[in-house]
Amino acid sequence: MSNDQSSQPDTLNSAERATIDASVAAPVILFFGTAIFWLLFGSVFELISAIKLVWPSFLDGFGLLTYGRTSIVSINALAYGWATPAAIGIGLWLTARLCRVQLDRTKILIAAGIIWNIGTFIGVAGILIGDNTSISHLNFPGYSTHILLLSFVLIAIWAIVTFNQRQSGPLYVSQWFLVAGFFSFPWLFATASQLLIWKPLQASAQPAIAAWFAGGFFNLWLAPMGLAAAFYLIPKTIGRSISSQHLSLLAFWSILLFGAWSGTSRLIGGPLPAWMVSVGVAASVMMIIPALAVAINLHLTLDGHYAPMSWSPALRFTITGVSMLVFTWVLTAINSLPAVNAVTNFSEITRALNLLGYYGFFSMTAFGAIYYILPRLTGKEWPSSCLISWHFWLATTGVLLGVTVLILGGLIQGFALQDIGVTFRSSMDFIFPFRFVAALAALLIVGANLAFALVFAGLSWSLRRTGTAPALIAVREENSQEPVAV
Amino acid sequence: MNKLTLLFTGIFLTFGSAWIGLVAYPVANLAHMEALPDEETGGLLPPTQSGLAVAGQKVYAANGCMECHTQQVRPDPLTADIAKQLGKRQTVPRDEIRDRTAFLGEYRIGQDLSNFGARETDAAAIHRHLYSPKSVTPWSNMPSYSYLYEYRKIVSQPSAHALQGLTGPRAPKPGYEVVPTQQAEALVAYLLSLNQNYPLPESPEPTAK
Repeated sequence: MSNDQSSQPDTLNSAERATIDASVAAPVILFFGTAIFWLLFGSVFELISAIKLVWPSFLDGFGLLTYGRTSIVSINALAYGWATPAAIGIGLWLTARLCRVQLDRTKILIAAGIIWNIGTFIGVAGILIGDNTSISHLNFPGYSTHILLLSFVLIAIWAIVTFNQRQSGPLYVSQWFLVAGFFSFPWLFATASQLLIWKPLQASAQPAIAAWFAGGFFNLWLAPMGLAAAFYLIPKTIGRSISSQHLSLLAFWSILLFGAWSGTSRLIGGPLPAWMVSVGVAASVMMIIPALAVAINLHLTLDGHYAPMSWSPALRFTITGVSMLVFTWVLTAINSLPAVNAVTNFSEITRALNLLGYYGFFSMTAFGAIYYILPRLTGKEWPSSCLISWHFWLATTGVLLGVTVLILGGLIQGFALQDIGVTFRSSMDFIFPFRFVAALAALLIVGANLAFALVFAGLSWSLRRTGTAPALIAVREENSQEPVAV
Repeated sequence: MNKLTLLFTGIFLTFGSAWIGLVAYPVANLAHMEALPDEETGGLLPPTQSGLAVAGQKVYAANGCMECHTQQVRPDPLTADIAKQLGKRQTVPRDEIRDRTAFLGEYRIGQDLSNFGARETDAAAIHRHLYSPKSVTPWSNMPSYSYLYEYRKIVSQPSAHALQGLTGPRAPKPGYEVVPTQQAEALVAYLLSLNQNYPLPESPEPTAK
């Protein structure tokens, strides 16, 4: 893998690119389009939950909309309706481009996309009517997870076939991450569904497996897919190669090894064998290695070439997203130290880290990737640079504001929960103003997602007007290797 | 050298190592725990749950109680859980064997419930709290579970199960009553069963300092 050629994403000419892109256009647009719907849906539920935390009588007394359901619906709609399909869409497009093959079996993918959304819809409806499994990050009832797994098996088969057909040559770093993600997700999902939901084990064995799944879902599925996009888009947009192949290798293998073992650090002091917690803590702390490797590698690649961030939405979102991944891993490492965790566990800091990782890193990176991919698939420019700018600033402000207040408030809440002299009621009083600001942050994020949905709707609408010139002004990527519309 | 094979093998081994440690090990060693005989009473530790309490686990899961309430007491020198009297000893895997799902929880938006049944033994008080939390504890931020109760007109005789002593905006008007549904009865039975105040050899109570 340490071949010079492999530091370049691909060496296709624009006609070849256009043919390959056209062959995956339909399924990728399907995955992105439905993902954006669930993004909006999930973030509205997140806002409802945030308001309920501050003002419990908001929409109170309805079983369908009790806090315990709205908050779980938002997490799962975002994880399985938005993040996973967005990761799949990015993965499909990158696979086709990097394997340099045209695809002729897209009907499988379209079927998989439709099945996936049916599964998500049934899962969300199942939670709302009271079939929540109470397994963190896997709350969809058993009858919907079968459907999701079936869909993913179709996608995995397609990915294996495509990788087998690829034109020979060294594998590019994004391809390592794609293989890791497409391999890990079905294994994680099938194991957890089988052992925790379909035929649940005795509950004494469940916490370790649930923690393994929750850690793996982020570190072995979303993180690799987001990084696959980043390692492709950043060199492409600025026209340079990834700086260090060795740092890429270090990052890749350390993410896989430590990421796979990191989940149990969320159960410090919990009911499972002490060695499992110790391993989880060690692995979570070691995630500082990939954090530094990614940060240094991408910084060396970008050094002196940060300027395109000012006009390229793809680059701006991606770099912001990857920076937040680095922060997520560093903060999670600190939060996993037992002395720190004794104070912070069960406080709002857990929510802060989820917001930073899932929205700050993954969603931002996925936004960047979608801004890059869709114009190339459709041959149309994004309709409004103003809305894209709103999207970026609302999202960034929302995440940073939310994470900051939840960490500060979480610290105060955590010390109150840990202090024998402070009552539980005081911990609630202390956190109240922070939760209020966090609800405002949730509102900003809904605004950001709405702006994104509008830009996407504008692009879809311009597609129907065949024969006209590319709609309106676009954010020009002057330094890109590729012409914007191929 | 086929690079894809090398890559695939590496991923398989790293992922598989954690799978063996964190999935296969619990399946082999933690999934078949048995209750211990209780020498004092001749019963079992942890005690068996009533059928209604088992049904209550489903209600607890369905309404997402785990979003705000943990059910785990962490050990003493590390945390203040035991000093704050959430329980007398650390929660261990054997405490979970009666549950269909381990409701450990991630947030303490509300109180820990590991030993709720040891603190609160009055079913009627729990019903009042679930129906209208603010009327019992004014500073509570718990949502109302009034949808687990039937608000109805009294026909001839008031029900023997109707909630007594309700105050606040959700209190029934004269001539009306609030009666728990089957779900509410099950949930309360489950909450009353939450009690880890029995000895387990693997989790000794910390000695007083």
